[in-house]
Amino acid sequence: MPSADHFAAYSFVDRIDRFEPGRVATARFAVPREVARFPACLVAEAVGQLAAWVSMDRIDFRGRPVAALASQTRILGDARPGDVLELAVTVDQCDDEAVAYGGSAHAHGAPLVELVDCLGPMLPVAEFDAPEELRARLAVLRGPGAVPGRFRGVPSPAVTMLERVAGVSLRARLDVPASAAFFNDHFPRRPVFPATLLLDTQIAHTLLLARDAAWAAGRTVTAAKVTHVKMRSFIHPGQALDLALDVAVPVDGVAKATMQARCDARVVAGARLEMEVTDA
Amino acid sequence: MAEQPITQAQIDAVYPKVAETMADALGADLEDIKPKVSLIEGLDAESIDFLDMVFRLERAFKIKIPRGKIVENARGDLPEEEFEQKGIVTERGLVQLREYLSEVPAERFKTPLKAAEIPRLFTPETFCKLVIRAQREAPAPA
Repeated sequence: MPSADHFAAYSFVDRIDRFEPGRVATARFAVPREVARFPACLVAEAVGQLAAWVSMDRIDFRGRPVAALASQTRILGDARPGDVLELAVTVDQCDDEAVAYGGSAHAHGAPLVELVDCLGPMLPVAEFDAPEELRARLAVLRGPGAVPGRFRGVPSPAVTMLERVAGVSLRARLDVPASAAFFNDHFPRRPVFPATLLLDTQIAHTLLLARDAAWAAGRTVTAAKVTHVKMRSFIHPGQALDLALDVAVPVDGVAKATMQARCDARVVAGARLEMEVTDA
Repeated sequence: MAEQPITQAQIDAVYPKVAETMADALGADLEDIKPKVSLIEGLDAESIDFLDMVFRLERAFKIKIPRGKIVENARGDLPEEEFEQKGIVTERGLVQLREYLSEVPAERFKTPLKAAEIPRLFTPETFCKLVIRAQREAPAPA
């Protein structure tokens, strides 16, 4: 019997308004009023999920894309509980090997995130989910739409500080929970810790780190752009990750940081963060 | 039809941009990217890096490189069953592979060679040749 978390605990498309097979889609997602926060990484996840629907349909649900590469994600605004996200994707290429796409999310007409040059390898869909359930779900999304308010928020993973040089570097351990509702949705047959949750955690800690720098005194430091995202392998429930966050002194109002996650000394994920530094 | 040979001058022409693209994809220093270094053994590249590099090269050179087809291209006109048997590259397959990957030093072609290990042979120069082939196959501008 399907879990109640399926298409709920980590699913961010409510209704697809426009669907040009294999090419373009627009959709909506209502951020439930009850959730405490809906960070930019989840907004980006929503855009990626819309691209996933277009690409899975394109290859008749033989494969599904998984997060792998994102050249650039521009963070342009914050989504608030109660906002309705307007999602849009354009698929540049899609075949049984990979999907290349870009997209955006707006709320109240204002831009929230923009994804540029993203690439996800297509893996056999049946390893992750029941193809027939995905097919039926797409029909719902393209038709009446899903019941809104399914998402209940996600818990922040436990992070233990190991070494910290204020404003410069942080070494920490992230303990991926052994079980969580989102694992029943991402994905039912093969639970994977979402790359966007890892990024959200890394960005939050990098911002805290940067704000402790001497150069940040009296200034506002905000996340502006995530680049060079590369997921090298799946992160499984219960795994421990070693996080390495390093912040450079800002140049021309932009502070750059590298964010890396290792598991058993092997790099499993990497990304760079650009933070905008402005006088408060 | 036999492929028109790729000259060293053609490789040299695309190499700087290929090397820069690879350094960016691998997070490596540009000086660590040498034309004949093994991408896997010398630069710790993984399968996701190959996908990344192909994607970046497509954008950098405005070309289309068929993803996942590098090994298939290496086989040329040789039918799959004559190229490899039970996952091992045949003698004829090795001849074809050495010709296709002429930039790879001969001593790196270990025998028996598993077909799955062919990517271990790839070098930045292999990708230069991929770019040149894709440029040749690109339709002429209208």
